[in-house]
Amino acid sequence: MIQGHQALKDRLQGIWVIASLIGAALALRLVQLQIVDNVEYRMAAERNSSQIIYQTAPRGRIYDRDGDAIATNEPAFSLIYLPSKTKEKANLKPLAQELGRQLKKDPDEILARLEQAVQEDTAIRLAENLPPQTMFRLSELKTIYPGVDLIVEARRYYPYGRFASHLIGYMSRMDPRSWKRLKNDGYRVDSRIGRLGIESVFERELRGRDGGIRMQVDAQGRLKKELERIPWIAGSNIHLTIDRDIQKAADDALRTSKSGRGAAVVLDPGSGAILALSSAPDFDPNALLSTDPEAVKKTVADLPEFNNAISGTFSPGSMFKTIVGAAGLQTGRVDPKQTVYCPGYFYLGRKMFHCWVYHAKTGPRRHGAVDFLEALEHSCDVYFYTMGLKIGGPTIEKYERMFGLGQKTEIALRGEKSGHVFGPQTRAKAGRGWYDGDTVNLSIGQGELLVTPIQMAVVAAAIANGGTLWRPHYTDRIEYGQGRPDYQQQPEKLGQVELKPEVWDLIRQGMKLVVTGDGGTAHGANFPQLDVRGKTGTAQNSSGADHSWFMGYAGWPGKPPQIAFAVIVENGGESWEGGVPVAHKIIAAAFHLEESKPKPKPRLPKPLAEAPKLLPLPAGRAR
Amino acid sequence: MAVRAESGVKGRIDWAFALAAGGLVLMGTIVMLSAASPLPYYASLVQRHFVALFGGIVLFLAALGFNYQIYQDQAKVVYGLCLAMLVAVLVVGSVHKGHRSWINLGPLTFQPAELARIGLILVMAAFLDARARKIKELSTIVLAVLLAAPLMALIVKQPDYSTVLTFLPIIIGMLFCAGASLTHLFGVIGFGATAVAMPLLFTYFQIAYPQAAPGTFAHFILQTEHFGRATALVMAGTGIASFASWKVSAWLRLQVRGMYFVAFPLILCAGLISGITVNHRMKSYQRNRFVAYVAPQVDIQGAAYHVHQSQIAIGSGGLFGKGLFNGTQSQLGFLPERHTDFAYAVVGEELGFWGTIGILGLYMLLIYRIVAIGKLARDRFGLLVCAGLATMFAFELALNVGMCLGLMPVAGIPLPMISYGGSSLMITMWALGIVANVYSRRYALL
Repeated sequence: MIQGHQALKDRLQGIWVIASLIGAALALRLVQLQIVDNVEYRMAAERNSSQIIYQTAPRGRIYDRDGDAIATNEPAFSLIYLPSKTKEKANLKPLAQELGRQLKKDPDEILARLEQAVQEDTAIRLAENLPPQTMFRLSELKTIYPGVDLIVEARRYYPYGRFASHLIGYMSRMDPRSWKRLKNDGYRVDSRIGRLGIESVFERELRGRDGGIRMQVDAQGRLKKELERIPWIAGSNIHLTIDRDIQKAADDALRTSKSGRGAAVVLDPGSGAILALSSAPDFDPNALLSTDPEAVKKTVADLPEFNNAISGTFSPGSMFKTIVGAAGLQTGRVDPKQTVYCPGYFYLGRKMFHCWVYHAKTGPRRHGAVDFLEALEHSCDVYFYTMGLKIGGPTIEKYERMFGLGQKTEIALRGEKSGHVFGPQTRAKAGRGWYDGDTVNLSIGQGELLVTPIQMAVVAAAIANGGTLWRPHYTDRIEYGQGRPDYQQQPEKLGQVELKPEVWDLIRQGMKLVVTGDGGTAHGANFPQLDVRGKTGTAQNSSGADHSWFMGYAGWPGKPPQIAFAVIVENGGESWEGGVPVAHKIIAAAFHLEESKPKPKPRLPKPLAEAPKLLPLPAGRAR
Repeated sequence: MAVRAESGVKGRIDWAFALAAGGLVLMGTIVMLSAASPLPYYASLVQRHFVALFGGIVLFLAALGFNYQIYQDQAKVVYGLCLAMLVAVLVVGSVHKGHRSWINLGPLTFQPAELARIGLILVMAAFLDARARKIKELSTIVLAVLLAAPLMALIVKQPDYSTVLTFLPIIIGMLFCAGASLTHLFGVIGFGATAVAMPLLFTYFQIAYPQAAPGTFAHFILQTEHFGRATALVMAGTGIASFASWKVSAWLRLQVRGMYFVAFPLILCAGLISGITVNHRMKSYQRNRFVAYVAPQVDIQGAAYHVHQSQIAIGSGGLFGKGLFNGTQSQLGFLPERHTDFAYAVVGEELGFWGTIGILGLYMLLIYRIVAIGKLARDRFGLLVCAGLATMFAFELALNVGMCLGLMPVAGIPLPMISYGGSSLMITMWALGIVANVYSRRYALL
């Protein structure tokens, strides 16, 4: 018998009461965690144990008109780092050292990136596009350092390298400004985006949707198993109207031209389709995807991004004489039969203007009496000074605009310039007067008149096709895939130049003579099998040698012309030294002909025995 | 008194108790098999577990067979044995994770602190039974604490604070059941609560007001952390307040014994001093646990990481769990100490709500039966042993499961029978055997 048993039992019961309260509290908490908040915690567990390694989707390919890929993708190995869940700061340092040695990068920089990855708890790419031997060495690191892994993904590749670089563009890393704009658009910090040219303009279409591998990881960040493979969606393929042979010829010709700087645009005169668009100096877009960060940095630093073909503005020089001629003939102010005597110079009041032959190095020369066709053939300035004054500044300005100068051609590329119209109206708008001297200058395409190579290509195409100004386009079609119908590019008209057929004939005849005539300035562009016509131009340049132009078109005899082109070689000097040889190569490539030995110089008039006697100065006060 | 002569096993075994104990051991085995599976030394763990399980069954049956009163008779031997083992471990024990807590016995390692815990219950029960007549006196409490003190001191020396921590509620629970004065007990509890509250308070203020300006309340609280003017001021304030309330109670003619007004400030001040001392002597990992409890958001990767991962594990298990061996939290290593301290979280993740509530239910059944057996016990010793064990299980359940659920700070206390631990399992089964023996002898002390 226990003394005071009941009291003891009551106290013992107290222990049970406390225990049951504890049990109830724990049970309630279990209900809360496992039933009420279950979904939340399940997501937390999933976040804990899974990591997505994004795989860059193959970017849409870019094809030329024959279906050859100009921009494609190749598999590349990337080194990624998955931070572990447990704190292992100490481990990062040797890893950074090791990686720095293998990748030839600064270990401190790598360490900073690793620490950032740990802090933000996200997978990062430490290196992309590893060369095979580095890859094999790095794969050993996987076993030593958890969290390091190699994945394969698609990387941009340009099989032809230095090819239509300004048109195609290039890929580069996200800069902070683009990141701000694109981060909600499915881009990641380490995404690459298209820059310049088609890569930039069609970024949305070319870029597919990135896929990824959802991996189960353990607390140390080691990959355990694949949970899910999210397939990527490749970007849309773009078929261009670019002809690879012509483009390559234009690229090479410009690169090897006198100054190595210039532009060439080749159009199909029947549709405005761009067959080649070349700007020099150019670059190799593959260099920007190089594995060596130093090389990339250097390439970026002096990347010639400027697209001369659409952004370069120059005086058209004598090429403009075709438009002046069109204005004079169409308005009837110029009789093609009427001759003008060219003594090699021209007086306007007391100011003397030279004909270009007068400057010829070998001595003073003159064209003598020339009619319209001869004037175009020899590019006689005095003829056009005279006729320009007859036609008048306002009319010439009207024809400038009619041929689309001063307006963008609306090519789908960023950075196109509209150039500058030169004429009384424009002057008046700027609040300045117009003088006859300006008309004289304008008549031979000098002065403030500024055009882009692509504008002149459009003009050349218009002369070839009888006046249609096409909007130049380089896309043929876009294959969206995913069941979405392809986009097919249709030719678009910018305008129409209405001239009488005989006016077109005269201009074209003149341009024919430029190439084939005895005194023509563009013999170098001639191919006996072909019907090549064109007009040279020399743009005076205050800072250095003259820019050398040549525009024209070519086709098989008796058939509609197949190509129209405009070429400029900056500081190329005389047109037969600069623009014409480039055009020669372009035409040879377009018609698959052997390049003939160029005849570089036009036959110039005989030099005068002595400097011509200058006509007496018109009366007037001396300045 | 009617002696019901029941023969055979039927009346000698408490089947509900056996079911609870057996169920927990079974669940513990299953959990251990799953939770430890990713470990490199899995095979040896499994081997040890089953050896310990076998040993535990033997000990259970042995305890069931022996008359439990032998422990009362040989209380001095038990006490001496515990002391000897604790001294031995300090001399020849092996060190694991900074604790000298294990004695190597060939293939097995033995943790004397586990034995000391049950030993204490037995010795304390014998002591309190002997002091039955003077149970209401304060001296009983003092002597009880003095009795436990050598054991506790030796365990602290290892150092194994977690095990020592369980001694206090056991002593208080047994004193309570033995019929000690509630006033005295509340005094002890008040002292303990103050001592524990102080470090928590300091930690909280350190995090909440890291740059408290002088003159503010927070600054004052933080100043009391050092023995100085602020501390003295608080203690003086306590004294004055209690003196004032004594005056007020006298003026109101309340029949309150003046003793309380002396004891209250003394207990509070003693608690304060102990608390500050504890705060000063706390190791950094122990302080981190306080930090993690007071402000888990401060360092989610650090000290609060374990509790956070444990909650994710349990919460993500849902109603039915992810299946054994399929818990991502436990199998992929996010959950720390998964086969020991956080084994309950593995149950939560892999077996879901039914698993956790099942183990909780089995534990409640076990405690309920121990309490019931205590009430049925033929003698005060048996009752007190049951009281001690019931308190011990309830406390460990509260602390371990509470920790896994994020309700309690991380104390490093395992859940007997669920958490892996050979010594713990064997000693626990031995203790359960004693309880079973108390039950089987409820009618006659044969």
